[in-house]
Amino acid sequence: MDILYLLIPLSVGLVLLVLLGLWWAVYRGQFENIEQEAERILRDN
Amino acid sequence: MVIEGMHCAACALTIEDALRSVPGVVQADVSAASQRARVVWNAAAAPPSLWFAAVRRAGYRALPAADAQARQQRVQEKRRALWRWLVAGFCMMQVMMYAWPAYIAHPGDLSAEMEGLLRWASWVICLPVVLFACGPFFASALSDIRHRRISMDLPVALGMAITFIVSSLGTFDPDGLFGREVYFDSLTMFVFFLLTGRWLELRLRDRTAGALEALMNRLPDSVERRGDDGRFVRVGVRRIALGDVLRVLPGEVFPADGPLLAGSTRVDEALLTGESAPRWRTVGGEVCAGSINLESAVEMRVERVGADTRFAEIVALMESASLQKPRLAQLADRVARPFLVFVLLAALAALVWWWPKDPQHALMVAVAVLIVTCPCALSLATPVAMLSAAGALAREGVLVRNLQALESLATIDTVVFDKTGTLTHDGMALRRTEVAAEMSAAEALELAAELARHSLHPLSRALVAAAISGTSQAALDARSWEITDLREAPGSGLTARVRKLHGAGPARTVLLGSAAHAGLPAQDGDGAQVCMAWADQAGPERHAIARFEFEETLRSELPAALRALERAGIAVQVLSGDRAASVARVAQRAQIAAWRGDCTPADKLASLQALQSRGHRVAMVGDGLNDGPVLAGAHASFAVGSAVPLARMRSDFVVLGGQLALIAQSILLARKTLRVVRQNLWWAALYNALCVPLAIAGFMPAWLAGLGMAASSLLVVLNAARLARKLPTLGTLADDADTRRGPRTHAPAHA
Repeated sequence: MDILYLLIPLSVGLVLLVLLGLWWAVYRGQFENIEQEAERILRDN
Repeated sequence: MVIEGMHCAACALTIEDALRSVPGVVQADVSAASQRARVVWNAAAAPPSLWFAAVRRAGYRALPAADAQARQQRVQEKRRALWRWLVAGFCMMQVMMYAWPAYIAHPGDLSAEMEGLLRWASWVICLPVVLFACGPFFASALSDIRHRRISMDLPVALGMAITFIVSSLGTFDPDGLFGREVYFDSLTMFVFFLLTGRWLELRLRDRTAGALEALMNRLPDSVERRGDDGRFVRVGVRRIALGDVLRVLPGEVFPADGPLLAGSTRVDEALLTGESAPRWRTVGGEVCAGSINLESAVEMRVERVGADTRFAEIVALMESASLQKPRLAQLADRVARPFLVFVLLAALAALVWWWPKDPQHALMVAVAVLIVTCPCALSLATPVAMLSAAGALAREGVLVRNLQALESLATIDTVVFDKTGTLTHDGMALRRTEVAAEMSAAEALELAAELARHSLHPLSRALVAAAISGTSQAALDARSWEITDLREAPGSGLTARVRKLHGAGPARTVLLGSAAHAGLPAQDGDGAQVCMAWADQAGPERHAIARFEFEETLRSELPAALRALERAGIAVQVLSGDRAASVARVAQRAQIAAWRGDCTPADKLASLQALQSRGHRVAMVGDGLNDGPVLAGAHASFAVGSAVPLARMRSDFVVLGGQLALIAQSILLARKTLRVVRQNLWWAALYNALCVPLAIAGFMPAWLAGLGMAASSLLVVLNAARLARKLPTLGTLADDADTRRGPRTHAPAHA
C-alpha cells in the first residue's frame, strides 16, 4: 500500500493537468457549438 | 472587423485573397482563431463598402468590430460560467474519490498518515473550487455586506467559508478546537450543484437573447450618405448621425428613422407594424429603421438613429421582458428575505445552543442550517420555469413581452380574434374572372399577370400568383406580349403599351388597376377587384377586357389551430372592425360561430368586458396596434405577424411568423408552466419546512445538508427545463407541425 503515497500526490498533479486541458478546451470554444460537427456532413463545403 | 461564418484556417486565406483583390486595400490580415480581420485601406480608392462586399461575395459576413463587442462579451461570460462549472465538477469527483476510503474504512483500517495524506490532497483540490469557482458567491456576498443587504448568496457564502475553514483546520490542526472532521466532499458537491443551476439559467437566458439578436441583425451594414460636395458616399451605418441625408436604394433596409426628402416609394414595414401590405411613402412621409425600401431610390433625413429608433425600442422591449420578475417570483423573493434573516438567526441560535457541549458539533450544525435552507429553490421556482417557457416560445417565433402574462395565459378560456386579417393570409386569391368576349379567361389572366409582374402591389402579386398556379412557370416565362412604356400610378394601377409577339397587330394601350383607373363603371362586390381595359389613343373611351375578383385566403393552419383550441376547452370568437359582410365570410369559412363585424374599438371593449363579467378569461389576438385599450383590457394578448409598434404596443406576446397554431401551443405551454411553477413552489416550501427544523435539532450532517440543498435547487431547475424541451403538442395536428418545424428532422431530408 505504500505506493499510494506516491499515487495520491500524483493524482493531485494529474487533476491539475486535466483542469488545464479543460481550460484550453473551454477558451478555444470547443463547447460553443456542439452541434457543428454533427451538421458538417450536411454542409456543402 | 469581425468575420462571421468562418470555420477553419483555410477560410482565413480565402478571405484574405478576397480582400487583397479589392483595389485600394493595402493590407489585409485575417485571424482564424479570433475571427477578426484587420484591413488597411486607401480611403480614396476603396471605400469600406467595396471590401465589405468582397467578403460577402466570398461567402462570409463582416461586421464592424464594435458591433461584435456585445456578442463577444456574452460569449466570454458564458465561457467563464462553463469553466467555473467544469472546475467545480471535476474537483468534486476527485474529492469524492479521496473521501471514499474514509467512508468505508472500519476504525483502524486507515493509518493516520494515510488519512492525513488524503485530506491534504482533498484540500489542494478544493482550493481552486473555493478560490475560483465560488468567486461569484463570495463577490456577491461581499457586496451584500457592503450595501447592508441580504440575499441568497450571503448564507451560502457564509456556509462555504465556514465549511472550508473548519475543514482546513481539521486537516492541518487535527487536535485543535474544531476537531479532525473534514467536509471537503460536501463543500465541493454543493458548489457544483449550485453552479449547475446557475449555468443552466444562464443558458436559458442566452437562448432568448439569441432570438433577439436575429431580429437585431436586420439593420444594414452600410448606407449611402450625402457628403458636403453633394455626392453620395457609402459609409458604415455606425457613422451616420442626426441630420445626415441618406440615399436608400430599392431592396435596401432603412437604417434610421426620419422623413423622406426626395422621391417616393413603397416600404415594407411588416417587421415593425405587422402591416403586410406595403405602405406608400412620399416626400415628408416618415420611414423607420428596419423597414425595406421596395420600389425606388429615395433620399431621407436622419432624425433618429441607433438606440433612439423605433426598431431599437422593440429590441429593448423584448430584452427588458426577459429580465422582468413575474408576480409569483416577486412574492417568493419577498418571502425569501425574511426567511433568510430567519435562517441566519436560526443558525446563530443553534450555534449558541450547541456550543457548550461541543464547539465543533455546534459549528457544523450552524453550517448545516445555513446550507440546508434553500431559498434559491424558492426564488428560482418561478423565474426558471417562466424563462424556459419564454425561451421555448422564442425559438418557435413567439416573443414574450411580459413574463407575468404567462401566468394569466394559463387560465384563458376564450380567445377573441380582433382582426379578420389575423385569420387570413397576407395575399389574396383570385376568386372569379369575368371576361368580355374578346379574350378567354386564361388569356386575360396571362396578359394581366405579365403586366402585374412589374408592380409590387399586393393585388399584382396575387395576379401573378394566380397565373402561376393556373399554368406552369415555364409557360409564363414564354411571353406572348411585348410590353413597353409601362407606368404605374401608385395605388391605382398600371398603364402600358402592349403588342402580341406572335402574329401581327398594332400596339395598344392597356390599363390595369382599380375600376376608376381602368375607366370602367365600378361594380358592387364584397372582395377586392382589378379591372383591365383597352384605351383608345384618342378619347376617353374604354373597352373592358376582364374583371378579376379577389378574396382573402384563410391561413392554411387555421382549421387545425382552431380545432386544437377547441380541444383545449377554449372558445373562439371574432370581433372585427371590418365590414360585417367580409367578417361573416371569413368566419363562416373558418367555421367560427361567434362573430361580430363593424365593431368600433369601444364596441370591442364593451364586448370584452361583457365576456369578462360573465367570468370568462379572455385572450385577444390582434395586430397589437389599433386596439390598445382592448388589448390592455384582456387578460392576455397576442399580436400576430410581427406586429411591433414598439413601446406603444400593449400585447403580451408577439407571434412573429404569424403561425396561428402557436397561439394554441402557447396557451398549452402556459398551463404547463403554471403547473411546474406550482410544483416547484410546493417542493421548495415543503423541503425547507422539513429540513430546517431537522438541521437545527442537529440531525442533519453537513454533507446531507449540502446534498439536500443542491438536490432541491436542481430538482427545481430540472423540472423547469422540461418546459424548454419542446412546445406541447396539439394532438394530431402536432405530429405534422413537428415534422414541419423541427430543424433536426428537416436537415436529413435536404441531405
